[in-house]
Amino acid sequence: MGALDLSIPSLLSFLIFLLPVLWLSRKLDLNIQRPLLTGMVRMAVQLGLVGLYLEFIFRINSPIINVLYLLVMITVACQSILKSSGLRFRRFLLPLFFSLLIPFAVMVMFFNGLVARIDNLFDAKYLVPVGGMILGNCLRCIIVGLTTFYSGIRDNEKTYLFSLALFNHRITALKPHLKKSILGGITPTMASMATIGLVSLPGMMTGQILGGSIPLVAVKYQIAIMFSIFYTEFFSLILALFFTMGTAFNRYDILEKRIFLTHRD
Amino acid sequence: MIQISDLNYRVGEAPLLTEYSTRIAQGEKRLILGRSGLGKTSLFKLILGFRQPQSGTIRINGLELGQDAIQEIRSQIFYLSQDIDLMDGKVEEVLDLIFQAQPQLEITPHDLEAGLEMLALSSATLDKEVGALSGGERQRVGLLIGFLLNRPIWLLDEPTAALDSTLKEAVAQRILDSRYTVIVISHDPVWQNHERIQLERWS
Repeated sequence: MGALDLSIPSLLSFLIFLLPVLWLSRKLDLNIQRPLLTGMVRMAVQLGLVGLYLEFIFRINSPIINVLYLLVMITVACQSILKSSGLRFRRFLLPLFFSLLIPFAVMVMFFNGLVARIDNLFDAKYLVPVGGMILGNCLRCIIVGLTTFYSGIRDNEKTYLFSLALFNHRITALKPHLKKSILGGITPTMASMATIGLVSLPGMMTGQILGGSIPLVAVKYQIAIMFSIFYTEFFSLILALFFTMGTAFNRYDILEKRIFLTHRD
Repeated sequence: MIQISDLNYRVGEAPLLTEYSTRIAQGEKRLILGRSGLGKTSLFKLILGFRQPQSGTIRINGLELGQDAIQEIRSQIFYLSQDIDLMDGKVEEVLDLIFQAQPQLEITPHDLEAGLEMLALSSATLDKEVGALSGGERQRVGLLIGFLLNRPIWLLDEPTAALDSTLKEAVAQRILDSRYTVIVISHDPVWQNHERIQLERWS
């Protein structure tokens, strides 16, 4: 049994609520009309396309295509992370790619093989949605972590230099920045784990229940996915910080301003 | 000993140091005088590897400044900047953090008390948040760190600007009587009136 299909007119009926939003936006000078409409159209088009190629991927169900699909997703995630963090793409793509790939691959395989215990570890039905969900959550965590870390050092350069002169060692001088950025990245997920079920019903669980699963099965999957999200976020952020550090600092442990998109020589 | 040869440093198109050379013997005290914007603070940043010169060499106790020697060089220098920027936290926590990172250093409670007393700081200062310190207190905490770290080379940028006149005299005297090799950038007359200090005027 699956969820009832939604007709296109049903989906379009949501536009009724758009009218008061646009009216209020205008009255309150929010100026969100244009970005909101663009966002909504983009969402519909992007998800429509995703629906089409997911149909294709699920039908073919080839391990190679499934893995390639996830690799593309990771690359797009890297691009999005770097753009949102204001960091240069060329400099950071590779270190960021591997810092996402390693924990992500370990966690997805762990989830499929040892938790869900499916025979085909690369089955599109599990690999793509589970991978997508983990990756989507990692995105926010790493954006917050990298932005806090690199902007924090740039904005407090004098403190960093003074610490460097006192400690002689980069990692020790960076410790407060590492702590702040890791906490900034993972705290929302920790908070969401603490309140999940009380103030919100997560999307995956809702989807599964609508799809016909019994609530207890949906809950177990949700617990498994929350663990996976947290661990992947945590290790990806740690790796992202340490892998990108290699290229972000010069040989004297000074942060290169050229790593920032806003920097002009 | 600090030996600087043919140092050229510019920011953008503006030259700050041109063919600058100097030699400062071990234990020597040097006061650099000159109006602001001449590159005096940049000289300190170059010595610490915070900025890179276009050409020239810097040697500290025989070690040439470069990737291999930078940690060793920094470990010999105590640098006090004009507006000392300490990390966040209580003063005591910051001091713990700094001294834990120097395992070779043994600081007794007596050393700490003596340092606090010399700098007219009360032990209550240790409980204060760094952000809540006044300019003078920050400077004194900075000097306290320097005296406790006891590094052989001191680079001081306006180190007494926020101190009262009695304390200025005491701090300057203590530093000038020490065995440290010292370079001071200061417009404070307290440094100029000492026979132990060599003046280097920049124009």
